[in-house]
Amino acid sequence: MSANETANTTATVSATARRGAAAAARMLGLPALLIALWWWAAVSSGSFFLTDPGTIAATFTEVWVSERFLTDVLPSVGLLLTGYALAAVLGIGVGVPLGMSTRLRAAAEPVLEFLRAVPPPVLVPLLMLLVGLDASMRTAVIVSGCVWPVLLNTVEGVRAVDPVLADTCRVYGIRGRRRLGVLVLRSASPQIMAGLRQALSIAIILMVISEMFASSSGLGYAVVQFQRSFAIPEMWSGIVLLGLLGVVLSAVFARAERHALAWHRGLRAASRGD
Amino acid sequence: MLDVDGLRKTYSGRGREVEAVRDLTFRLGEGELACLVGPSGCGKTTLLKCVSGLMRPTAGSVALDGRPVTGPPPDMAVVFQEYGRSLFPWLTVRGNVELPLKEKRLPKPRRRELVDGALEAVGLGHAGSQHPWELSGGMQQRVAIARAIAYEPRVLLMDEPFAAVDAQTRADLEDLIRGLWQRFSMTVLFVTHDIDEAVYLGQRVIVLSASPTVVQDDVSVDLPDERDQLTTRSAPRFAELRAHVYREIQNAKNGGGGPSGTGATGTGGAEGSGADGGGGAGDAEGADGEGGADGPDRAPTATGGRR
Ligand SMILES: Nc1ncnc2c1ncn2[C@@H]1O[C@H](COP(=O)(O)OP(=O)(O)OP(=O)(O)O)[C@@H](O)[C@H]1O
Ligand SMILES: [Mg+2]
Repeated sequence: MSANETANTTATVSATARRGAAAAARMLGLPALLIALWWWAAVSSGSFFLTDPGTIAATFTEVWVSERFLTDVLPSVGLLLTGYALAAVLGIGVGVPLGMSTRLRAAAEPVLEFLRAVPPPVLVPLLMLLVGLDASMRTAVIVSGCVWPVLLNTVEGVRAVDPVLADTCRVYGIRGRRRLGVLVLRSASPQIMAGLRQALSIAIILMVISEMFASSSGLGYAVVQFQRSFAIPEMWSGIVLLGLLGVVLSAVFARAERHALAWHRGLRAASRGD
Repeated sequence: MLDVDGLRKTYSGRGREVEAVRDLTFRLGEGELACLVGPSGCGKTTLLKCVSGLMRPTAGSVALDGRPVTGPPPDMAVVFQEYGRSLFPWLTVRGNVELPLKEKRLPKPRRRELVDGALEAVGLGHAGSQHPWELSGGMQQRVAIARAIAYEPRVLLMDEPFAAVDAQTRADLEDLIRGLWQRFSMTVLFVTHDIDEAVYLGQRVIVLSASPTVVQDDVSVDLPDERDQLTTRSAPRFAELRAHVYREIQNAKNGGGGPSGTGATGTGGAEGSGADGGGGAGDAEGADGEGGADGPDRAPTATGGRR
């Protein structure tokens, strides 16, 4: 009996280890393959515009581990986070009352639908005129693009509050701030998180675009500068840096989401029966 | 204390009108424990929602202490039929029970005392740190009950609160509710579809008819106040009352009035339901065909129970 159990445990441990190794292989396998392909393509084509990964890596440290980090990277990240945070606050702040009131929603719906349909990069030239060329204009571009997924998802989430839970709150006299915190925001949080996730990728895109169009510093500006001066490896290193930035931000987001929505995963797993 | 007068509720939606209850009038005295039985879909939940002020009646009125009920009154607690959905999945069991007490602004030590007491009473003292979705249906139902009793309400409304628990737990919870009711002199309105349970628990059993819903009968339960799962349920008077309520429900289903001819004499039901805690036997909904024949005592009723 106990020998059997020990054998079982060992088997489980080694199975877990094997699964872990397999997962790592799956995760790193494809990137490794792609890098190899890229390398081969760069070397065999000999094109001026296609830099091989080795050169890019070398250029990367040379270019970005320098004062450029302070002058270009940090301001860009700051811009991104400011715009994103403002959009989140605005989206949730407006989405909650809209979700709670049928009348407000009916009044706002057509406008929202239209504004949502406008592709945010189109706003760059307009906002350049309206707000000017400074950082506040770039923030405004990011906010104007990111706010929609947050807003619309918040509205949907708040609308879908379970009526039985709402009745429970009414019976026990839970209202005002506590109701907002314990009922409305929490039950809408899965949708709000989905909106914030969409907004994050939009924020990165808009940060780059707004800097390309209208800036004299920042990551987007740097990439365009390198391109114009035919500093191709430098340009590539900028693109890689943007990619890495996206990966890091989305990993941070996933962590926050896992923490905030632990109950939601548990609930879903429980209702699926595993 | 609680006056329901000429209550009528029609749901209107998508051009269709559904009359859930037609005309209900009854009165509960201060500190009374009444059970409400009636066939499925007859409007028990609707009635409870009107009484708790969650829903406006179409006509008629509900008054508590002489004041008309327009919204949920303070110190009223409700255990909803959809117990699972009435628990906050992002809060732990403790958090769920404690939440209304926070809103009541009770000091922390007092809250802890009430939460511990209530969870202990429903047999969930060990489950405080779990989330509702980690519990079985019966356990979730008990969390909802714990939340209601920790609130120390003056009026307690319960909508089929024991539907998902096993017979043994159910018997324990029945005694718990009676114990609490005696200790705190709450007014309790208890909806159930289990006739045995209604008779065992209540001082009164209010029988609703099938739709169009009116009060079919109001049976006063003249059993001694000290009740016991074994002796009370095997008392001849218990069987008589149970048979009486059963007959009324059959009448109600067959359109009211007239002898139902089911011939449940009352003596037959006594032994069967005593030992098994009454789980299932004498089920108002069971009478329309599903699981109606779950005891030897049900045989005489078969004529009325099959469609
Ligand atoms: N929101 C609603 N809209 C329309 N009709 C409804 C609504 N809620 C209930 N009804 C109808 O009202 C009637 C009474 O419903 P109710 O839920 O009060 O019955 P019940 O006695 O509690 O039934 P059960 O014992 O199955 O819980 C039913 O015919 C139902 O279809
Ligand atoms: Mg009901």
